[in-house]
Amino acid sequence: MSHVSCCIYRSTFALIIFALLIWVNPHIAHADNLESTQYRIEFGNVNLGAKSQTSTSYNLDTTIGQTAFGQFDSTGYIIKAGFQYIHSIIPFRFSLSSTNINLGALSPNSPSTATTNLTVTFGGAGAYQVTGIEETPLQTQTGSQIPDTSCDTSCDETTAGQWISNSAYGFGYNMYGLDIPATFSSTDYYRRFPDRSAAESPALIMSNSNVGTGRTATMTFKANISSVQPGGSYQTIINFVATPSY
Amino acid sequence: MNKSKIIISLLLLLVFIGRFIPSSFAQLADLSISPPLIEMAIKPGKVVLIAYTLHNFGDPTVITTKVLPFEPKDSNGNIKIKEEFEGPIRFSLDNNDIQLDKPFFLRTKTSQQLLLRMRVPEGAPAGDYYYTFISETQAPPSLDGNTSPRSKVAIGSNILITVTSDGNIEVKGRISKFNVIPHFTLPKIFNNLTIFDVGDKIPIILTLENTGNNLIKPYGNIIMKGSFGEIATYDLIPQNILAHSQRTILATPSAMIDCQDDKNMRLCKASNTLTLAGFFLGNYKLSTTINFGENTGILNASTSFLVFPVKLTIGLAIMFLILYLIFRKVRSTESET
Repeated sequence: MSHVSCCIYRSTFALIIFALLIWVNPHIAHADNLESTQYRIEFGNVNLGAKSQTSTSYNLDTTIGQTAFGQFDSTGYIIKAGFQYIHSIIPFRFSLSSTNINLGALSPNSPSTATTNLTVTFGGAGAYQVTGIEETPLQTQTGSQIPDTSCDTSCDETTAGQWISNSAYGFGYNMYGLDIPATFSSTDYYRRFPDRSAAESPALIMSNSNVGTGRTATMTFKANISSVQPGGSYQTIINFVATPSY
Repeated sequence: MNKSKIIISLLLLLVFIGRFIPSSFAQLADLSISPPLIEMAIKPGKVVLIAYTLHNFGDPTVITTKVLPFEPKDSNGNIKIKEEFEGPIRFSLDNNDIQLDKPFFLRTKTSQQLLLRMRVPEGAPAGDYYYTFISETQAPPSLDGNTSPRSKVAIGSNILITVTSDGNIEVKGRISKFNVIPHFTLPKIFNNLTIFDVGDKIPIILTLENTGNNLIKPYGNIIMKGSFGEIATYDLIPQNILAHSQRTILATPSAMIDCQDDKNMRLCKASNTLTLAGFFLGNYKLSTTINFGENTGILNASTSFLVFPVKLTIGLAIMFLILYLIFRKVRSTESET
């Protein structure tokens, strides 16, 4: 064996040993978020600044970062801000992709639909809920109303029903995506909004009991009118309220 | 050459316009609030000030803030916000130019600090008071001639206030439910034995009830012991249980359930404390030990479940039955010939 061949063999052998060492010891450290299957601690330990506020009636320390969610102690009161078991600085956030839902000019027996996306980020909140309620049924300024749907056979404010018939009239909504009520078993299943003018309570439309970010669901509004429905511009206001849990 | 210059100039102009004109005219509502929760124990006669940060990531909007009481709606941590204000706590905003129930304008990608002052009057009755601090957008203008449901978006942050003169908190809790959600349940003569198939996910429910007048937090764990000596411990998450309410407490680490999968519909209909996933076989005992803080009593409960290869056993039984029938048929045919 020549000297050159010997060197090549030795180098190859050394490289194989080196590769094996890397392979058997793959624990690479990352400065990253701490997480388990259930919880994710975003930016584990970040302290950016602090400030004390005082007056004759209170003494409150504030800070940006982890210690902002610690315990504030003062004579006469104790305050805890944020969820004590989730050290996250991600704020609770809720978005609606479109607040103006255009169902267009309705034609009898021809259902009209429009969608909007609801997204909730709640990395700093233990759980969340979104509720929805309509101020009134869809109505014109003169008081003509499109009633809330009863779907093909039946549905109400909590239970969805199939709505595919063009001869089933009314106004309702379907939900598809994450964290939606189980009653929306397919995109053909609709239910009606609770009516605040009828003293009904808001309906739960999204919820999750685990920490998460960017949870998105699509709401499809649907309206269908009969040939005897008076013409006009039908309007209502839907109130969406997103709240973290406690 | 001139044509090229014109085209390049037009392209640059388009890029410039595209950069500075909003990409969409859809009415996007996108709000965030921090902190999401305030817990407070306070004496009557005291005042505290909390700084909230409200950020508008959506289109410019007019916002109104308000504080409304809430009550627990179910045992899953959901709430029902009441329509009218009630309770002894007095709220106001300390901002110079913003007041509760008065609209203010918030531009895109800007934040507003809201200084919420909470005053507990002298003589306020001891007990818990729960409120939600709500920031709500206004509905957009209607689209004339069209049918258009318009939306108002509100984001809330909960405030849990315990009024106490002497600092004493009433801790009265009990375990109201601790069991597994059965896949198969045998009749009563088998002592309601709960059976799962090998490979099934095993959902566990632990619901605690607060029978006292102040909110409490549970501390403890769930321990699973298998018939082959294996032990696993799952820590309870100390979530608040409001006065005179129940809550299904979460434990960690738990397996996640894909609720988009129709096969998991059974598991997704109910809120679970813990979902066990993995290979289980035999009898398992679950026990939980809970306290509600230092110097409080300890609560215990236990349950059990059996994991058995149900589908495999049924499959083998059917197979042996079919083989037996074939064997009988063949034998009878042979004896006839």
